[in-house]
Amino acid sequence: MSRPLRIAVAGNPNVGKTSLFNLLTGSRYKVGNYPGITVETREGTIRATKGWQPRADTPAPTLVDLPGTYSLTPISEDEAIAFRTLTGTIDQAAPDAVLLVLDASNLARNLYLALQVFELGLPCVVALNMVDLAADAGVGIEAKQLEAALGLPVVATVARGGVGLDALLHQLDRLGQGGLPKPAPRLVEPASSHTALRACLAKLEAGGVSPARARWLLAAVAADNLELCGASVDERERAASLDPRDLEQAIRSLVELRYAEVDRLLAQLPSSGQQPGQAGQAGQALAPAMARSAKIDAVLTHRVLGPLSFLLVMALVFQSIFSWADPFMGVIEAGIGALSELVVGALGPGMFTDLLTEGVLAGVGNVVVFVPQIALLFLFIGLLEDSGYMARAAFIVDRLMARVGLNGKAFVPLLSGYACAIPAIMSTRTIASFKDRVVTILMIPFMSCSARLPIYTLVIGSLFVADAPVFGPFTQGGLILLSMYLLSTVSALGIGAIYKRTLLPGPTPPLVLELPPYRLPRIRDTLHQVWDRTADFLRDAGTIILAVTIVLWGLLSFPQVDEAELGPGETAIERSVAGRVGKAMEPALEPIGQDWRIGIGLIGSFAAREVLVSTLGLVYGIENADEDDAPLREVIRDAKDEAGKPRYTRLSGIALLVFFVYACQCMSTLAVVRRETRSWKWPAFMLVSMTAIAYLAALLVFQVGRLLGLGL
Amino acid sequence: MAFQDDNPMTLDGLNLGQRAEVLAVTGHGSMSVRLLEMGFVPGVEVALIKRAPLGDPLELRLRGYHVSLRRAEARRVQITGVTA
Repeated sequence: MSRPLRIAVAGNPNVGKTSLFNLLTGSRYKVGNYPGITVETREGTIRATKGWQPRADTPAPTLVDLPGTYSLTPISEDEAIAFRTLTGTIDQAAPDAVLLVLDASNLARNLYLALQVFELGLPCVVALNMVDLAADAGVGIEAKQLEAALGLPVVATVARGGVGLDALLHQLDRLGQGGLPKPAPRLVEPASSHTALRACLAKLEAGGVSPARARWLLAAVAADNLELCGASVDERERAASLDPRDLEQAIRSLVELRYAEVDRLLAQLPSSGQQPGQAGQAGQALAPAMARSAKIDAVLTHRVLGPLSFLLVMALVFQSIFSWADPFMGVIEAGIGALSELVVGALGPGMFTDLLTEGVLAGVGNVVVFVPQIALLFLFIGLLEDSGYMARAAFIVDRLMARVGLNGKAFVPLLSGYACAIPAIMSTRTIASFKDRVVTILMIPFMSCSARLPIYTLVIGSLFVADAPVFGPFTQGGLILLSMYLLSTVSALGIGAIYKRTLLPGPTPPLVLELPPYRLPRIRDTLHQVWDRTADFLRDAGTIILAVTIVLWGLLSFPQVDEAELGPGETAIERSVAGRVGKAMEPALEPIGQDWRIGIGLIGSFAAREVLVSTLGLVYGIENADEDDAPLREVIRDAKDEAGKPRYTRLSGIALLVFFVYACQCMSTLAVVRRETRSWKWPAFMLVSMTAIAYLAALLVFQVGRLLGLGL
Repeated sequence: MAFQDDNPMTLDGLNLGQRAEVLAVTGHGSMSVRLLEMGFVPGVEVALIKRAPLGDPLELRLRGYHVSLRRAEARRVQITGVTA
């Protein structure tokens, strides 16, 4: 058997490319990652259908789903990946053919990418997708007409409904049969009047560079993004030698020539109603495909109703990850608890049992407990993205995010950070620039996540009168809690603005955002995406979280001591490695109003912030403090130091709260940051900087408070 | 072709519902290339459909689709022949 044909699937965003890929491959695919970046390509084998069977002598072709792009000019990583896959790199040969997916209702823009693909000279089949919506909008065209205009096989499809699938499969099959004669690259050629373009192309092509690659290099230089294209030294030198004024003119001529060719092709499609929209024609104000969407947008991007509905949608998303995930997380925790009991019952008490229950099972629990939040967030994001609403959300909040120096796409990840930083950080992949993604990732852990709540309530409940009225319906507890959330939000935005201007400087990312027609999301595609993300988390971040949980268990449990050896009031945890480290840390903790007991709690809470409660419980010899923290609250409230004064004051309580607002007490966050940035550099920076900020803030609160005589 | 003065109007100066013809995209670098490739080439008709609730960005129609640009980016697109 020969090797299977590799076919790249290319197309603009929002053209139904992923639906088509999922249908053709039966959703059996591998997610591939490029080293150093998180742009994904998916690869799967074409599946037999009722109307099409692969032949016995040749393996079924393989499809490679490329990121959706508007062009092949490397402005973002997506486009660079699309181009590199299409042209081939050192470690990966170019594909044998291309399946080009076009939105039937928007050829005037879709054909631009098509021309760039044709320039590569690969055999090509066109899927004219969403022909039903195009016909509804009154801009339907016949596949035969487009076929005649392009001189390529064109199949009309409706990916959502599975229409045209068999015809497409037969066309892809035919690609394999004919031995794939390579068509000549279809290049737009400069006329004699395009002197700048001719000069630039001649210089680039002189070194034996193919005409298609020369055009791509030209665009890459013009876009100041040569580093994205993996150009050779010789190519770089040639590119650098281009006259800047020529270059500026050349790129304009090149794009204009391509669009002129698009318009020429459109003119050959009679009765399409998709004339290119040259000025002076009697066109409608709206794009035809947007007629229905404009009515929805009359509400969803309305001056008043728009922001209101946006708040409503975000409240729903936020509420769902904040509270709908709760029952599932409860079930997971109960399941882990039941398993632990089974293990204890089967093996009896002992160190090995402890390792299994408090190390391994607790670690598995620490990983799996995030799954409901991750799954829910990506379900919502997927549905909103697919329906077209996400673009509107970015449209509405862009102005606010631009103040920080980011664009509207950073908003949803930041908001999700209130629930949990893990899914929030995973959802930053939609941000095009890596620098801006890192800025957003560094901001997210400052948002007060739900795991901080048990700590806030423990400290407030111990040292303050939580329900003491302050004014109106507001109580001490409520106001302190509100202040912590405000502090975290303001800090996250402020730190983002600072990082954006110092650490990772760059211009505010431009916003060139298509507002696609609204469509019913295809739930199956969304569920696939949810599964991909969840599996990715379990595989990559999960292993780190599991390992760290076991290490932390060891630190808190060893060396083991006999209970008879313990002095009065002493607990076993004090003698552990963590206990000793906690005691050694005391000189550093004193200036922020804490003692070694809190120090041990801080070490334990690195597994997850809320573990502070159970670790403090162990320090004070209280079992199950995380289920009912009332006894622990009393002990903390009544604790006295050697001189008989209260061990914890309200001021030290506030200092601890402020510490937890800023501290990165969460190994899972660090594990996910490593996964998303593909290096230990950023998680290390995050841990060190956040701990330093937390310490300084707590120091400031405690020392200034003491100076002002606020023993509270 | 309408007359060209030294400071042509730019896209951010359109009123709601108005249409105009693209004259040129100014500047250089990735943003200008992106605008060109999204279809802002000379001769194309652009209409201002809406402003975002906070006044920025803009929703524009060209070449059969709708796109959102900030005013700062729209300022790079010179236009002519404004009609209601």
